[in-house]
Amino acid sequence: MQRHILNSLFQAALVLVGVLVLVFFMVRATGDPATLMLAREASPEQVAAFREKMGFNRPLPVQFVDFVRRAVVGDFGDSLHYRQPAIELILERMPYSVYLATVALIMAVLIAVPLGLLGGSLPGSPVDWIGRLIGLAGQTVPPFWLALLMILFFAVELRWFPTSGSERWNSVIMPAFVLSLGTMGRLVRLTRSAVLEIMGEDYIRTARSKGLQPRVIFFKHALRNAAIPLISVTTVQFGYMLGGAVIVETVFAWPGLGTLTAESIGRRDFPLVQGVAVFTSVVVVALTLLADVFYAVVDPRIRYD
Amino acid sequence: MPATSRLWRIVSALTVFALAAAACAPAATPVVQTQVVKETEIVKETQIVQQEVVVTATPEPFKPVGTLRIALTTDIAAIEFPQAPERQAANASWTLYDSLIAPLPDGTFEPALAESWEVSPDGKAYTFHLRQGVTFHNGEPFNADAVVYSWQVYSQPDVRYATYFTIAQSVEKVDDHTVTITTEQPNALLLPYIANGWAIIPPKYHAEVGLQKFAEAPVGTGPFMFKEWIKGDHLTVVANPNYWRKGYPKVAEVVFKFLTDSATRVAAVQAGDVDISPRLTTEDAQSLLGEPGVQIIRYPTSRIYYLAFNNVSTGQGTPLEDVKVRQALAYAIDMDGIIQAVFSGYATRAVGYVAPGELGFDNADPVPYDPDKAKQLLAEAGYPDGFEMGYACPESGYPKINDVCLAIEQQLNAVGIRTKLDLQEANAYWDREAKKELPPLFVDSWSATLPEAYARLQGALAKDETYANWYDAKLDKMISDLQITVDTNARAALYGEIQKYMRENPPFVYLYIPEAFEAVSTRVQNYRPRSAENYYLWDVSVSDGQ
Repeated sequence: MQRHILNSLFQAALVLVGVLVLVFFMVRATGDPATLMLAREASPEQVAAFREKMGFNRPLPVQFVDFVRRAVVGDFGDSLHYRQPAIELILERMPYSVYLATVALIMAVLIAVPLGLLGGSLPGSPVDWIGRLIGLAGQTVPPFWLALLMILFFAVELRWFPTSGSERWNSVIMPAFVLSLGTMGRLVRLTRSAVLEIMGEDYIRTARSKGLQPRVIFFKHALRNAAIPLISVTTVQFGYMLGGAVIVETVFAWPGLGTLTAESIGRRDFPLVQGVAVFTSVVVVALTLLADVFYAVVDPRIRYD
Repeated sequence: MPATSRLWRIVSALTVFALAAAACAPAATPVVQTQVVKETEIVKETQIVQQEVVVTATPEPFKPVGTLRIALTTDIAAIEFPQAPERQAANASWTLYDSLIAPLPDGTFEPALAESWEVSPDGKAYTFHLRQGVTFHNGEPFNADAVVYSWQVYSQPDVRYATYFTIAQSVEKVDDHTVTITTEQPNALLLPYIANGWAIIPPKYHAEVGLQKFAEAPVGTGPFMFKEWIKGDHLTVVANPNYWRKGYPKVAEVVFKFLTDSATRVAAVQAGDVDISPRLTTEDAQSLLGEPGVQIIRYPTSRIYYLAFNNVSTGQGTPLEDVKVRQALAYAIDMDGIIQAVFSGYATRAVGYVAPGELGFDNADPVPYDPDKAKQLLAEAGYPDGFEMGYACPESGYPKINDVCLAIEQQLNAVGIRTKLDLQEANAYWDREAKKELPPLFVDSWSATLPEAYARLQGALAKDETYANWYDAKLDKMISDLQITVDTNARAALYGEIQKYMRENPPFVYLYIPEAFEAVSTRVQNYRPRSAENYYLWDVSVSDGQ
């Protein structure tokens, strides 16, 4: 057990080091970061002063060590565009992304799990058919396209929802739905196949032959065992939703991390881009780690040797 | 299985939809384009009807009504004006402030917080007589101390637009309602800088709440007062009931929504969620034509695109140093054809390095497309068989720039200037431009933040500037003369001379100026964006009062 957790921690650390290296060198791959970051009107003196201030005139290894040392305590420098510490901006937008991802996750679970359970226990039924359709749509429908169609239909035509923004109570619904679709599809398929598999297991047959009611078999034996992979997948998906909502947030003008990322890249606001990249990687890695540990805790059969 | 076949029907329907959407989105048929010409309103010179300030004993009842909702294409970084990094943040934040004077569309100024001003004989000292009885949004009185204090606060080096304030060497209070602003040398940029950048703030309040808090909720004397700023989402300002222009502002509330995706902006216009949506692409504008209650306006911007030469590094010793060769390049390029083909006709030809609407613009005739003349000039310069030359562009660095660059490559090759277009990653490209490492021919563009060409001229042509790749001693001298020529008429004349000189000794081939498209709801009145994409909202109204 301990070995497993240590092993996971080691892997997580390795991934984070990789992220730091990538983020640091990518900014420096396209040219001199000082001219990249400054406005066109900047005079040569200003460029030189900026280079000095940011420490870009030091040897690369020294800069890298410094970058890592700061990143570890959450200091990514000041955003060039906002002139505020990048971490402040990230934390300011974070609640919106958490809110959106939470609503999306709840939607995904509430829709996907019942569909998967029913579909798995009644394969070939209309419910199963709907579940499989969602599973397919979740993997194939491009989010930006679905988002635009939903805006055109529900906001422009029917006027049920605002086209974008976060002001009104119902603003979250469309972006959350689009964001949830991928996860929803994955969860339907996962739940369905878990139930299908479990229903054919020996212990279910035993329970049946004992004369237990189908309801009891389903909820007590099947559901509990199907839940294990579900919970771990859901945890990881939450991380991806937090950091990966760039398109959905941009299309719906949702003021979360995704819009911040997209705009910062466009503006060449590298301290902020670096901050968001490292920050979301940490969140995703942490959630993956959590899922990994959880998995091992609830299912003692799992061993990683 | 019937379920499966039904499933497949749905899937194929979805796919067809997706393909149809993809196919429809960018396509624009010529038929639709004719429609554009008919239905757009061309705002070449937006005009302001000057408002007389009438102060009567019984002021007319003050009833600002309705909400004006404006889409911005970017999240705004600051609402404290001198810290606002780009045009849209500047437009939104300026609603909170006034300066001593206000810019008029023709490059002159009208009184604002100052009722009048005079210049000392040596041109270095400006005395402003301040309007009395004006208060800030928090009730603090506006006076000379406020002007001195604002200058002190915003001259600090960490202020983004500190240069607007540091142009003044000193700001001194003469009495409560008079200030004298002096510059080291007579400086023609003083008045434009004051009019376009000096946000005047209340000293007591600013000192009390501190820099940080003030930046989150600034206070000025402007037509609107700060209400709410949800970062990344919207900024709301409400009418200032004590505004010094009596009877203004006309709308009770303005909401600036930050919508970064263009399709979202179009949908927001269609749903009536926003009244004004700037920076539309031609495709967006076309898709909104015929939308009930929506008007599309268009106007030339202040961004000039040009083919640049290099004589400070890679271009040295090349045929480009012969003026006839540079003239030949201008004749060789069919700019009208490119504008038609690439921009469906929605761009203006650039005739020089001064844009329409900028001080002293001379509206000369563009160089006609004449490949024979180009060949003849090349022959006269001693290159009857042409020559080879390096040529680069920033890949997708500007809208449709790749197409423009490819067309130019073909046309240059047609007259014997053998170039191979080098499309470079845009960031690396600008980096190389700053380091003067670009080939002798390259494409670039430059906009303006003031209604003047000065900053553009200075940035691209003055000696030792970061992005200047061409040096001409005479031109350099004229540009530095511009800075110390204070009189507006004399400046306009000097701009005229510069344009003439830059036509005879071209440092660039002037290409085009893109047009800006905006969707404006028909309920909005008096909205007049200017060529630098700036606007003032104090006299804008909405007709239905909602």
